[in-house]
Amino acid sequence: MAHSDKKAVLNQGVIIFVFLTVLTLLEFFIAITMASVVLLVVIALVKAGLVGYYYMHIYRLNIDDEGGHDSYPYKTGTNRLGLWLFLLSDGFVFAGLAVARFNLLGLTRPHLNQTLGLIVTAVLLISSFFMNRAETSMEHGDRKGFVLGMSITLVLGIAFLLGVVGVEWPQAIHEGITPSSGAEGAIFFMMTGMHAFHVLTGVIFLAVVLRNGMRGLYSGEKHWAVEAAAVYWHFVDVVWIFFYPALYLIGTVVT
Amino acid sequence: MKTKNPVRRSFLLLLLGGVIGYGLGVGLDVLVTGQLDFAAPLTGMFALLGTSVAYFFGLVGYWGITRGLVWQVIGTLAGGLFVSGIRVLMGLEAFGGFFFSEPAWVFGGLVGGLSFLVGVGAVTDWYKWAKGEPTSEHHHDPEGYVKYFGVSLDHKVIGIQYTVTALLLMGIGGLFAMIFRTELAASQLQFLTTTFRAFDQNGLQFYNTLMSLHGIIMIISILLGVAGMINYLVPLLIGAQDMAFPRLNAFSFWIAVPAAVLLVSALFLGGFDTGWTGYPPLSARSPVGIQMFFLGVFLAGWSSILGGLNLLATVVRMRARGMTAFRMPIFAWAAIATSLISLTATQFIGLSFQLVMFQRLLGMGFFDPTKGGNPVLFQHMFWFYSHPAVYVFVLPGLGIISELLPVFVRKPLYGYRWVAMSSLGIALVGFLVWAHHMFASGMNEYLRVPFMYSTLLVAVPTGVKFFSWVATLWKGKITTPTPMLFVLGAILVFLVGGLTGPPHGTISVDLHLTDTYFVVGHFHDTMFGGYVFPFFAALYYWFPKATGRRMNETLGKLHFWLMTPSFFVLTFAMMRVGLLGMRRRIADYDPLLGFDLSHLIMTIAGYLIFTSVVIFVYNFFHSLKHGELAEGNLWNSRSPEWLVPSPMPVHNYDQAFEVVGEPYDYGLDGSRYVQFEDEKIKDIEG
Repeated sequence: MAHSDKKAVLNQGVIIFVFLTVLTLLEFFIAITMASVVLLVVIALVKAGLVGYYYMHIYRLNIDDEGGHDSYPYKTGTNRLGLWLFLLSDGFVFAGLAVARFNLLGLTRPHLNQTLGLIVTAVLLISSFFMNRAETSMEHGDRKGFVLGMSITLVLGIAFLLGVVGVEWPQAIHEGITPSSGAEGAIFFMMTGMHAFHVLTGVIFLAVVLRNGMRGLYSGEKHWAVEAAAVYWHFVDVVWIFFYPALYLIGTVVT
Repeated sequence: MKTKNPVRRSFLLLLLGGVIGYGLGVGLDVLVTGQLDFAAPLTGMFALLGTSVAYFFGLVGYWGITRGLVWQVIGTLAGGLFVSGIRVLMGLEAFGGFFFSEPAWVFGGLVGGLSFLVGVGAVTDWYKWAKGEPTSEHHHDPEGYVKYFGVSLDHKVIGIQYTVTALLLMGIGGLFAMIFRTELAASQLQFLTTTFRAFDQNGLQFYNTLMSLHGIIMIISILLGVAGMINYLVPLLIGAQDMAFPRLNAFSFWIAVPAAVLLVSALFLGGFDTGWTGYPPLSARSPVGIQMFFLGVFLAGWSSILGGLNLLATVVRMRARGMTAFRMPIFAWAAIATSLISLTATQFIGLSFQLVMFQRLLGMGFFDPTKGGNPVLFQHMFWFYSHPAVYVFVLPGLGIISELLPVFVRKPLYGYRWVAMSSLGIALVGFLVWAHHMFASGMNEYLRVPFMYSTLLVAVPTGVKFFSWVATLWKGKITTPTPMLFVLGAILVFLVGGLTGPPHGTISVDLHLTDTYFVVGHFHDTMFGGYVFPFFAALYYWFPKATGRRMNETLGKLHFWLMTPSFFVLTFAMMRVGLLGMRRRIADYDPLLGFDLSHLIMTIAGYLIFTSVVIFVYNFFHSLKHGELAEGNLWNSRSPEWLVPSPMPVHNYDQAFEVVGEPYDYGLDGSRYVQFEDEKIKDIEG
């Protein structure tokens, strides 16, 4: 796969991105018109599946590595397993938050700015798209494409952070949803806060990898750090794929 | 300090540091409160910090753990002052009852914990990677004992670090137990009275703090002991040079050290009175100490999670040639099952404590019904980890039993595949039983019956293990050196623990037994049978491998024969008073209930157990220097680590081995488990 045609891989990324966009819009309209929880959950699962398979390449866990235990590919395989185990573990944090959300709020949701929600969701999805381009470029030894893709991802990641923490939070507080106002506020700030914390660590990770990439530390054959940053970044996106409907779409607003 | 002996020097410094720290604490307290109080919160904290820093300075100088502790103190102060400064800017009161305000302590505690890791050097290599600098694959550890006090990437060093830390914490937790056990020796309050004062707590509050800390410190001790066994043994057993991620391994150990410091510091910051479970709403109202408890558990949780991750990657990726899944040693299977739980479920206890922490800090109403929160939600999240956690504690121990039994019976392990699978089975079913801790909590009633049946289901894979042990013992050539004694003790004690479990799992009985001493008795039986006894067995068994010297056999047998009967007396008495209505976690009881004598017996038994552990500790340190030299395959084991010299060479196996047979075919003529490279050549030539 790493040696397959670069153009084909990039095109595949575009197709997946189109699917994700359509599904996100579909999700949004289902929420307004039908409010079907089942459909929303199904769509979120499909989106997560698409990102997990085509952007995060979960199937790579199954590769039989050639070479001895000390070879770079074998070590990368071990690292990959470690990273995925970490994501599994981290996923439990977010699952726990989702459990708390549905236990406390049930099928109600906080009154939030829908436009803003859709915008930050779009920003994060687009960042995943460029992350995929950056990783694909590095796989084919294209450092220029890598730097371009990484830079856009980084900017979009920061934009997401600003959107949530800098705009959404003050707006919510202005609307009377504060951390101490009640279970709704507590859940909203804890879920977005924990996610934002992970985005922040992802941004730092991306910045480190971008800097080292610009200094020429990675090559088409050896770029585990790039792959790790990409997989982590997509994971943060997948979390938001579930948190967005959980906070913005599922349930009705109680005023 | 002219003395050359580092141990003597460090003890002298320890005293000096303690006095200086205590004086500093008293002075600072006078400055803040304007009153002279010799048992003020800060005095104890500073005395403790002073002693430990001075002690380690005497041992290894300003390096490794000493530097970590100094950094932790500085980090805590910096973090605390930072928040205090912000509070001043916001117009809030800068300082609180315990010098810093609560948010300042929380932030300071966190920054301090992370500073420790920087100071000790656990993140140095990662920082270099981030800067794009190369690092060497292996680090050269300093010679001698010094290497155990700083960051080492060698899994054997880390395993010993874990084990010794676990023993130290076991001592602290045991000491706490002795104090409150003494208080319980007779009804009416003896010395932890309402007029008693220490660290801003009266006698009853102090009792609660000690009881709570006993629980959590023992649990952390068990987690570290488990990690110690796994770290030391698994790479040796599967023929790996090291764990899959050596730096992560060092990080996992070193993050547990500031965690332990934070836990103990809870004692000095007003303590906490919730028990180790930390249920809100009580935990939402406890003194600041509970925040230190939350932080400590949080950091220790990361140790456990990352340790589990490392182990799984190691077993999957680093096995010797020919070691297929069903030729792995049984302990590796147990370690896998344990790690699966600690990798995933641990996040839930961290999250539940984090939510309470934020409820206290920002008024977020997760568990506050007046704000639409739900306290029962906490219990669900808490037990989703904390029940599977007990399997984290016992599965490695049960693995040790299955691992050692065939060696001392000289027979194959009965039903190897079933035993291997039963560990996974217990882990899996363990995820589905958490709400049996909550039958009396007021959760939805329809949840009770399914959780009752899933709970009783745990008995099936556990029963598989018992049948295997009994069948392995059957008609075996049993010898009973100390490790085997502890294995047999473990089986008996765990049997009692196992048999007293199903009554709790049955709703009708549990509603009467909830929160009584019967639960305490059952729990201690499972922990001793599933962890403490196998842990000691493992220590006696692999001590020669790690040090090259044997532990004293007579003292070992004394340890066993003192501990085991005392322990049975202790837990049976616990269950007796529990059935008669003794509540757990209380400092006093009504003399008319008529179990004064039982409590006195329990206290005496407790002291005997403590004495036996003191004998063990003496044996441990004495044998390090003076023990009989251990040469060759001491226990006549088939396992590869006994086929190379003791103590284990630095990079484990100089030549790779290949697994060519079943691991536990003891007593079968001509059967082989592993074959080293040069043997293979000999075979071909011969």
